[in-house]
Amino acid sequence: MIPLGHYLIVSAMLFAIGTAGVFLRRNLITILLSIEIMLNAVNLSFVAFGRQFGSVDGQIIVFFVMTVAAAEAAVGLAIVIALFRHRESLNPDAFTSLKW
Amino acid sequence: MFSSGIDAVVPMLCVTLAALAVMGAEAFRARGEQLPLGGLGVVGLVGAAISAVLLWNRNAVSFGVVVADNFGLFVTLVLLLVALLTIMFSSTVVRRDGLPAGEYYALVLFATAGMIMMATANDLLVVFIALEILSIAVYVLTGIRRDDSRAIEAAFKYFLLGAFSSAFFLYGIAFTYGLAGSTRLDRVGTYMAAQSMSGNPLILVALGLLLVGFAFKISAVPFHMWTPDAYEGAPAVVTGFMSTGVKAAAFAAFARVFLSVFEPFSGEWAPLVWLLAAATMILGTVVGVAQSNLKRMLAYSSIAHGGYLLVGLVAANQVGKAAILFYLLAYAVTNLAAFGVIALLGTREAANDELRDYAGLWHTRPALAALMTVCLLSLGGLPPTAGFIGKWYIFSAAVSAGYYGLAVIGVLTSVVSVFFYLRVVVMMYMTDRPAAIAPPPVSAVAMAALVASIAAIIALGILPTPVLDFAAQSIATIF
Amino acid sequence: MLLTLSWLVPLLGALVLLCVGNRDGRRDALVRWLSLAVTLATFAVTLVIWARFDAASPEFQFVERHAWIPAFGIDYFIGIDGISLLLVVLTAFLSPIALLSSWGSIERKVKEFSIFMLALEAAMIGVFVSLDLFLFYVFWDAMLVPMYFLIGIWGYDQRIYAAVKFMLYTMAGSVLMLVAILGLAYLHSAATGTYSFDLLKLYTLDIAPQTQMWFFLAFTVAFAIKVPLFPFHTWLPDAHVQAPTAGSVILAGVLLKMGTYGLLRFSFPLFPEAAAYFAPGLALLAVIGIVYGALVAMVQPDMKKLVAYSSVSHLGFVVLGICAMNMQGVQGALYQMLAHGVSTGGLFLLVGMLSDRRHTRLISEFGGLKAVMPRLTAAFMIITLASIGLPGLNGFVGEFLIMLGAFRWDPRFVVVAGLGVILSAVYMLWMFQRVYYGPVTHEENAALPDLRPREWAAVVPLCAVAVVMGVFPTLFLKPMEASVNAVVQRVQVAQTLRAERP
Repeated sequence: MIPLGHYLIVSAMLFAIGTAGVFLRRNLITILLSIEIMLNAVNLSFVAFGRQFGSVDGQIIVFFVMTVAAAEAAVGLAIVIALFRHRESLNPDAFTSLKW
Repeated sequence: MFSSGIDAVVPMLCVTLAALAVMGAEAFRARGEQLPLGGLGVVGLVGAAISAVLLWNRNAVSFGVVVADNFGLFVTLVLLLVALLTIMFSSTVVRRDGLPAGEYYALVLFATAGMIMMATANDLLVVFIALEILSIAVYVLTGIRRDDSRAIEAAFKYFLLGAFSSAFFLYGIAFTYGLAGSTRLDRVGTYMAAQSMSGNPLILVALGLLLVGFAFKISAVPFHMWTPDAYEGAPAVVTGFMSTGVKAAAFAAFARVFLSVFEPFSGEWAPLVWLLAAATMILGTVVGVAQSNLKRMLAYSSIAHGGYLLVGLVAANQVGKAAILFYLLAYAVTNLAAFGVIALLGTREAANDELRDYAGLWHTRPALAALMTVCLLSLGGLPPTAGFIGKWYIFSAAVSAGYYGLAVIGVLTSVVSVFFYLRVVVMMYMTDRPAAIAPPPVSAVAMAALVASIAAIIALGILPTPVLDFAAQSIATIF
Repeated sequence: MLLTLSWLVPLLGALVLLCVGNRDGRRDALVRWLSLAVTLATFAVTLVIWARFDAASPEFQFVERHAWIPAFGIDYFIGIDGISLLLVVLTAFLSPIALLSSWGSIERKVKEFSIFMLALEAAMIGVFVSLDLFLFYVFWDAMLVPMYFLIGIWGYDQRIYAAVKFMLYTMAGSVLMLVAILGLAYLHSAATGTYSFDLLKLYTLDIAPQTQMWFFLAFTVAFAIKVPLFPFHTWLPDAHVQAPTAGSVILAGVLLKMGTYGLLRFSFPLFPEAAAYFAPGLALLAVIGIVYGALVAMVQPDMKKLVAYSSVSHLGFVVLGICAMNMQGVQGALYQMLAHGVSTGGLFLLVGMLSDRRHTRLISEFGGLKAVMPRLTAAFMIITLASIGLPGLNGFVGEFLIMLGAFRWDPRFVVVAGLGVILSAVYMLWMFQRVYYGPVTHEENAALPDLRPREWAAVVPLCAVAVVMGVFPTLFLKPMEASVNAVVQRVQVAQTLRAERP
C-alpha cells in the first residue's frame, strides 16, 4: 500500500505545477488548464485523506469540487471567447486597457 | 446527520426561488414584452428578509451544515439590503444600457443566495461551494456588457485571480479535512482546540492556505491586484454590488472560521492578519490618492476599508466582533450609494466616471452632488455619519485590545483617505467649469434608493444604539 | 433644555433653510433675514443662559444628560461652567455679525452659504458645551465640514488649496486625539469595568505618568494645530486669507479659541502630571509664536494676512497664560480669548469691507482713507487699538493678566512676550497709518462709500463690546472666576499629590 505521504507529495507537486503555469504561461487556455490542474491536485489530496480515514467523505467532496470546477470552466471559457472577440489575442499581456 | 428541518436555509431558498422565477419569466416572455423582473426579485428579497427576522434567536440548523445563528442572520440582512439597493439602482441602468434584464437580475439574485449561504455556512465545503456560486455569478455580472471590451477584460482578470485563489482556499480545506477528518466547523473546532499545543506544522499550512484564500476574496494587500481592475471595468452598479456584498459575505465566513475554529491558534495568525491589515490600510489609501478615475479610486478605498475590517478581526474581542458587523453594514450602505450615484450619472455611451466628469456637478445636479458628498464623508469617517461610528467602533476595539499601533495607522490613513474623497467634493462643488455631461434623468426608484441610503447613513451616525445592540447580540451566540 | 436649544436652534434653522425653495436665488432676501433671525435667536438664548448663570459656583450648570450609546457609556452630556459660558456667548454674538458682513459680499448660492454658516454655529456651540468626550469629538469633527465648504466655495483665488489644507491639518491632529480618547475610555473600563467618555469621571482617573505623556501629546497636538501654536500654524494664513469675510470672522473669532479651550478643558486637567512636564516647552513655543507672528505680520503687504499672523501672536499669549496655570494667567488667557475674538473678528470684518469696495487687500493700494470714509476709519481705529492692548479697551486686560500670571511662574517668558506687545503696536499702527493717513494715493479710493447702515449694524456692537470689556472687565471676569479657580486647583493639587508619590 502506498503511504499517505506519497499522495500528498504528488498532490503538492501538481499544485505547484499548476501555480507555476498560471504565472508563467502566456496563453489564456493554458492558464485555465493550469487552474484545473491545481483543483485536481486538491482533489487528489481529498481522496487520499478520505482513504486514510476509511470514509467516503473525501470522494464525495471531490464530486462537489468537480461540479464546481466544471461550472467555473464553462464561465471562464465563455469570458475568454468574449475577450478574444474584442482583442483577437489570447496573450494576457495584450490586455492592458485597464492598468494591470 | 440531518438535524432539524430546512428552517435555516429558508432565506436563501426565497432568493433562489426568486432567481429561478426571474429566469423562467425571461425564458417564457413574448418578444419585446417588458416584465417587472426587478420587482419579482424584490419580492424574493423581502420574503427572505422576513424569514431571516423570524429566525432571529432561534439558532436553526439545517442538514448540519447551514446555521442560521444571529451572526449569520445579521450578515444575511445586510446582504439582502445590498441586493435590494442594487436592484433599485439597476432598474435605470438595465434599461439605459440595454442589458439582458432576465440574466442580470437572476445573476444578482443567485449571487445573493451564494453570499447568504457563505455567511451561514457551518461547513468548509459549503463555504467553498457558496463562494463559487457567488463568484461565478459575479464574474458574469462584471462582463455583462459584452460590447464593452474593458468590462470583458475586467471580468477575465477577476475570473482568473478568483479561480486561482479558490484553488488555494480549497487546498486549505483539504488539509483541514486531512487533519480533522471532517469539514464541519464544529468538529474541526473541537479538533483544533485539542491540538492547540501540538505544534503540528500541517495545521499552520492549512491555516496559511485558508488565510490566502480569504485574503484574495476580501482583497487584502498583497492579494488585492485584481480589485482595481475588476472594479473599474465592471458597470458601476455591479461594482457597488460586489464591493459590498462579496466583501460582507467573505468577511462573515472569514470571521466565523478564524474566530471560532482557529481561535486556539490566534497567536499564530493574529500577527499575520495584523500585517495584512496595516498593509491593506496603507496601500489602499496611498495608491487611492493617485487615481483619476472615480471607480478606481473607490476601488482602492474599498481595499482600505477591508483593512479597517481586518483591524476588528485582529482585535478579536467582543467589541471587535460586533464592530465588524456594524462596519459591514455602514460600509455596505455607504459604498453602494456612492456607486449608485456613479451609475446614475453614466450614459450608455460614456461611463462618466473620470474625476473631471464631476466638475461643477453641484450646479447641474445639486441633489446628486449633495448625496454623493454625504457618502464620501461617511467613507472618510466624518461625523455625523455611519462611517464615523463604524470607525469609532473598530478603533475602540483595537485600543481596548491593546493594538494602539493599528489604531494610529488606521486613523492616519483615514485622514489620507479624506484627502482623496475631498478631491471629488472639490470637483463637484468648487470647480466652476460647468459639467459637459448632461446626465439622463434619474428614475424615481433609483432616487428613492439613494435617499433611503443617505437617510440610513445619517440615522446610523446619530442614533446607532439599536443597531449596535443588534450587532452585539448577534455575536453573543456564536463566539 | 436651554443649553440644548443653544446649538439646536441654529441647526434647526439650517434644516428649515434647506427646505426653502431657492433654486435660482430669487429668495435670497428671505434666506438672509431668516438666517439672521435664527442667529439672533440663538444669541438671545445664550444671553438668557448668561443671565441665569450662577457665577459663584464652580460646578457645571445647565447640565443635561441622556443615555445615547449605553453600550459604550456614551451620554448626551452637556453643561457649561464659567470657562465655556462666555465662549458660547461669544460664538452666538459673532455669528449674526458674520452673517451681516456677508450680505454685501456673498452674491451666489446665498441659501447654501447660510446653511453652512448655521451648521457651523451649531457645531461650534456644541464643542463648547459638550462634557462627553465622544460628543465633543463629534462636534469637533463635524465643524470642519461646513468651514471647509465656506472656504472652498466662497473663498478667494487659492480657496481650494486653503480649504483642503485646513481640513487635512485639523483632521490629522484630531484623529490622534481620537485614539487618545478611546484610550482614556479603555483605561476607565480597566479601572471600573465600564466604558465612559464622561469628562467628569475621567478627571478622577488615575493615569500612569508614562501613559499621561502620550495622551497629553495626542490631545495637545490636536489643539495646538487649532490654536495654532508656532510650528503648526501654516494652515492659518492660507485659510484666513482665502476665506470669505464671514468665514474669517468666525475662524479668527471662534475656531481658534477651540484650541486653547481644549488645552484648558482637556489637556491640562486630564493629564496634570504630563502638563507640568510639558508646560515649559509649550510656553516656549508660545513665546516663539508671539514674536514670530509679530515679525511676520510686520512685513505682510496683505492686510488680511497681517491680521492672520497677528492672531498667531495673540494666541501665543493665551497659551502662555494657560501654561502658567495660576489664577491670573488662566483668567487672563480666557479674557484674551474673548477679547481676541471681538477685536480680530472686527479687524477681519473691516478689512473685508475695504476689500469688498476695492477688491484688493494690499496695503499699498490704499492710503488717505481717513478723509474718504471717516466713520470706517474711526471704527478701525478703535478695533486696532483694542487689538494692540490699549488700556481701557478689551485687549489690555487679558494681556496684562497673562503677563502677571506668567511672571509669577517664570519671568523669562514674560520678557520675550513683552517684546511681542511692543511689536504688535508697531505693525498694527503702521498698517493703520499706511491705509488711513496721508494723501489719497489711488484715484479709485477717492469716492469710496463710507459705512452703510447694514455695516453699521455689524460694526457698532463690536466696538461697543470692545469698550465695555475694557472698562468693566469685572462683568466678564466674575463669571469665570470660580471655574478657573476650580481648574487651577485641580491641576495643582494633582501635581503636588503625585509629586509626593514615591
